[in-house]
Amino acid sequence: MITLKVKRQEEDNVWYQEYEVEDRPGMTVLEALFYAQEKLDTSLTFRYACRGAVCGSCSMLINRIPRLACKMQISEMRKEPTNEGNLEVLITNKRTEIDNNVILVEPLPNLRVIRDLVVDMEPFYSLVEDIKPWLEMKENVPEKENLMDRDTQVKIEQYTNCILCALCHGSCPVAAKDKQYYGPAALAKAWRFYLDPRENEETKQERLAIVDSESGVWGCDTVYKCVAVCPKKVAPTLAINELRNRIKDKK
Amino acid sequence: MITHDTIVIGGGLSGLRAAIELHDKGVDVAIISKVPPIRSHSGAAQGGINASLGMDDSWESHAYDTIKGSDYLADQDTVEILTKEAPDRVLEMEHWGTNFSRKEDGTIAQRPFGGAGFPRTCYAGDRTGHNLLHSLHEQVTKRNIKVYKEWLVTRLVIDDNRCIGAIAMNLFDSELEIFKAKATLLATGGYGRIYKRSTNALINKGHGISLAYRAGIPLQDMEFVQFHPTTLLGTNILITEGARGEGGYLYNKDHERFMKRYAENSMELAPRDIVARSIQQEIDEGRGFPEGYVELDITHIGKKLIEERLPGIRQISIDFAGVDPVEKPIPVQPGQHYSMGGVSSDKDGCTPANGLYAVGECACISVHGANRLGGNSLLDTVVFGRRAGVHAANYINTFDAPNDEILEDALESEKKNISEIMGDSEESYADIKDSLRKNMQENVGVFRERDKLEKAVVKIKELEVQARSLRVKTLSKQFNLELLNAIELKGMLDLAHTIALGALVREESRGAHYRTDHLERDDANWMKHTLAYFTPDGPRLEYKDVTITTFQPKKREY
Repeated sequence: MITLKVKRQEEDNVWYQEYEVEDRPGMTVLEALFYAQEKLDTSLTFRYACRGAVCGSCSMLINRIPRLACKMQISEMRKEPTNEGNLEVLITNKRTEIDNNVILVEPLPNLRVIRDLVVDMEPFYSLVEDIKPWLEMKENVPEKENLMDRDTQVKIEQYTNCILCALCHGSCPVAAKDKQYYGPAALAKAWRFYLDPRENEETKQERLAIVDSESGVWGCDTVYKCVAVCPKKVAPTLAINELRNRIKDKK
Repeated sequence: MITHDTIVIGGGLSGLRAAIELHDKGVDVAIISKVPPIRSHSGAAQGGINASLGMDDSWESHAYDTIKGSDYLADQDTVEILTKEAPDRVLEMEHWGTNFSRKEDGTIAQRPFGGAGFPRTCYAGDRTGHNLLHSLHEQVTKRNIKVYKEWLVTRLVIDDNRCIGAIAMNLFDSELEIFKAKATLLATGGYGRIYKRSTNALINKGHGISLAYRAGIPLQDMEFVQFHPTTLLGTNILITEGARGEGGYLYNKDHERFMKRYAENSMELAPRDIVARSIQQEIDEGRGFPEGYVELDITHIGKKLIEERLPGIRQISIDFAGVDPVEKPIPVQPGQHYSMGGVSSDKDGCTPANGLYAVGECACISVHGANRLGGNSLLDTVVFGRRAGVHAANYINTFDAPNDEILEDALESEKKNISEIMGDSEESYADIKDSLRKNMQENVGVFRERDKLEKAVVKIKELEVQARSLRVKTLSKQFNLELLNAIELKGMLDLAHTIALGALVREESRGAHYRTDHLERDDANWMKHTLAYFTPDGPRLEYKDVTITTFQPKKREY
């Protein structure tokens, strides 16, 4: 058995509720939440979709670290402390000597709670949209595909791997205090389009101007928390540093 | 009442592509989706999208492979459209920013896929669906197309054989609202979660298909369910056909490449129905591993190529099975993957009701027939998503605004349905759902026979009775999962019923529908599409002809 200790909220009521879950080999935190919701308490709510760590729906704070619930094995969670009472958002965990039978599950930080583990993602989506996250191709669309060398394709791939799960946003100390800060995901996205040789120069410069601000790349404290929690190895801080260099070069 | 010229239900690839087309034709369009579009199951597609881009390849060759793969049940006129338009749609995605993998010369890379005579599957590593989905979503964002995120449509409103909109529930507050529209496009994906073992996302319950069914639209060829040969042991997460396309081998417990006994020429790259059956037979006859799996070995491909072309499945294998495919074979077993059947619709996504369209996996157009080839479903979404958009943009000019009164009546009736579903009961969603999934897995699976199918239908009828007394006790208005589940359960049972009954009546083996008591394909009696109509007593089955133009049916050998 494993105990899920879930932070629950409905309007102004906030409480922690414990669920005794019968675990089995290979079970994930998301599956444990389903066990609780289906068998113990149908009022519990949380987001989910793919259960395979590709859709980015089930972002939450697990033992005080922003993670995808579908990706975390219960067997692994037994080997770490819950960090209950630690008010900081952590990025790594220690190992415990003896099995820990409790997992602490809380909503993703830096976004308003709607109910239980469901948070309001709109501010996050809106910040991403502010950097104009789409390709504006050069004029003269080729009849066939644009040619692209493999190295460039691979460089872009690191950033197109982003699933917009917002774990980076939830870990970011700047996003915690500045609601205007575009945040790691949006800035990584800005770099993804800057890297793309298909993008026209005017739009590149326009986007560079958007992120050349305290709400943009200059707001980052370069603490690399986003890099540590990213489930897709996107490395937003590296993107932010690259964007800073491009802006400096221009001036 | 919310009014748009057109509404698109579903925010995956088909829905997004349709919405872009409508917007670009100057039509007011909104998307309604129960999850934000980027969470859609399209994003889980791995291996690629087919198009005859190569100098030596042709749309005719792509069409032939598709039709042969379909076991001659696909309509050949729609396959022609699919394969002819493929290169344009793929190039369009490249122009919209999809980061396709490249060849040395900078052109889009293509890999071999099952049942294809040419390497024609374009890919972005093994995250092709993810890349396409985000590119299309970016284009939707650029166009500022309105998206009603996290709304569940509960009913389509039909007036005199014309769809005039839908009733939907906002998941943020559980309130019902009317969406009035001159045209409605369904793009809601598949129903994999009615099976115990499925590659599908947890949200894939076929709800959109059941909306059309309950509105009187026939469902076509529902008995044709694709089982993917290689899903990860335990979670059944997809392990792309691309792993075999890149040279992966399948081994049984005696380390024998058993595919030589089933498809001596194509081996691991035979079509999915054949490979899935072969694996299942190995397991059933005791040559699989005790937990019920075989091994997919890509270790010989080497770390460099795996990191370059299959990084996603490497990560999935590590995270969900504790196996690094660079070092060890991946444990795999067949699992439900795709629905060849769906809402009956034509080359422009038109259903028998005016103003109602269906595209993508929720539809049956029918380009996949009895067995879909890998790489053709992503293609299907963008080809027919666009075509439905073009058709709907013209269609809406021919009709007046819909009748408000009928929409308001439908809203009141839905409100009543929801209020009646609230309360306490002995029944549990989890028990009914689990029982349904077990039943479908055991009795309507890879190998089928009369006794099991009869048992399946009886069981589904029992569960339908149980489901009628299921009530929802959670009163919370925000994200009431219990309510959402209860609403969707009825549709899951509806679809299961059409699948099991269609499979019971079709006494032949064709593509993914394999009857151990009727081993041969029977063109004389069964070269026809099944149509299932809703009646309160269960589905009523009718049949219609298959369109054959160029390729006369012959025995399928690989």
